[in-house]
Amino acid sequence: MKRRRSLYIHLSHIRLLAKKFALVILFISAFALMLVNKTDTMIIEKTSSVATDVVSPVIDVLVVPAKLIAKVYDYFRDLKQIHKDNIRLREENRKLNLLYDKFKSLEIENKLLSDLLNYVTPKESEFITARVIAEEGDAFSHSMIAYTGDKKVKKGQVALSDKGVVGRVENVGKAYARIILITDINSKIPVMVEKTRIRGILSGDNTTMPRLVFIPLDAAINVGDRIVTSGVAGVFPAGLPIGKVVSVKKNEIRVKPFSSLGQLEYIKLVNYGLSGILENDEEISEGGN
Amino acid sequence: MSEDLDENITSVFQRTLPLLSSLLLLLFSYVPLDFSLLNNVRPVIGISCVYFWLIHRPDLFNLWSIYFYGMIDDIISASPFGSNILAMLILYLLITNLSKFFNAKPFVVMWYGFAAIALITMLCRWLVVSIYYSQFLPLSMLFFSYMVTVAAYPFVSLLLAFVQNNFIADDD
Repeated sequence: MKRRRSLYIHLSHIRLLAKKFALVILFISAFALMLVNKTDTMIIEKTSSVATDVVSPVIDVLVVPAKLIAKVYDYFRDLKQIHKDNIRLREENRKLNLLYDKFKSLEIENKLLSDLLNYVTPKESEFITARVIAEEGDAFSHSMIAYTGDKKVKKGQVALSDKGVVGRVENVGKAYARIILITDINSKIPVMVEKTRIRGILSGDNTTMPRLVFIPLDAAINVGDRIVTSGVAGVFPAGLPIGKVVSVKKNEIRVKPFSSLGQLEYIKLVNYGLSGILENDEEISEGGN
Repeated sequence: MSEDLDENITSVFQRTLPLLSSLLLLLFSYVPLDFSLLNNVRPVIGISCVYFWLIHRPDLFNLWSIYFYGMIDDIISASPFGSNILAMLILYLLITNLSKFFNAKPFVVMWYGFAAIALITMLCRWLVVSIYYSQFLPLSMLFFSYMVTVAAYPFVSLLLAFVQNNFIADDD
């Protein structure tokens, strides 16, 4: 009896202490989680993939009423635009018809010249179209979650919109994938200026316009220059459009992405068959051996 | 027996409702809405929800709920894992020490209180994440996000007050 009583006192004492220091313990655990994330991303990455698969279906359900609200808003907003768009599209169609004939003749010419040079065509890419179910863009991160279903998606695949590169697949769950946008602080893409072929790195910094860094000091870069992927490092193939230069200052060149990253409904996740992204620790160690 | 069970279920539901409603709002805040105004600058719903419940019903939104809530936010967000938990804990620490100044005061006073506490919380998170990346994050984005969060607080509190008044029993 005495023993049980002392045990009870002992337990209640521990409980009281735990309650008292719970906040401190939770603070330490939050810091520890950040440290683990910083040092060994694989544990967090794997846990995060599973957790994203659990949480994402709930967001997916919420998308339906949210889209409905947005569609009603869009309907009234678009009514004004329809007439203007119609005129513009007719004109655009006329020009495109002319271009189509030109492209057809160029395609034939290209094929003839390729045959002549014995040119090896690059491997065909595979892609899936995924629906964006969650997006995030603030001072801390720029990412989105897309529903991929049972389609096979791999880490490092390129995410494209109809206008160009939007990001890359960061982690993959069973039915959902997280995409890191080109504006995110973790995004570093080898790029080049389309016209001059000057190479650099497009570095996100959680603003809406990423910076162009690691470019030659004497490089002549002007506002309006188109930026495309350079294909260096083997993650992105060369020539994918990204954006255009919008400001050139002494130590800072800013690029505005072609795609409206906050307004994407669907994205294309393309597998170019490149091997620039290492899948996991095993691959890193294999590479090291 | 059946009545007891019903009562227990209702009681558990009422006790978890603050967390559930906050989670629902949090998840909703990540839904892509295609409103040009909200692109890249969205209100930080998590801070608003935690502030509301800690001021109005601290008995139903305890430390563990806050930790769990921060963790869910970390799962959805791509920011460093743990940074949202840390922000929520800072918020908890601030509110539990300062709530006596805002509690049972007119809504405007609580709103000012929210503006002050949200600013400190967001700046602390900004500092921690900046240290994490060894690089200062853009303050302009943080500022706009803060402004939108403060502006959205009355709407968030209206929704949560509706939940509190209609689905949760009084604290007595």
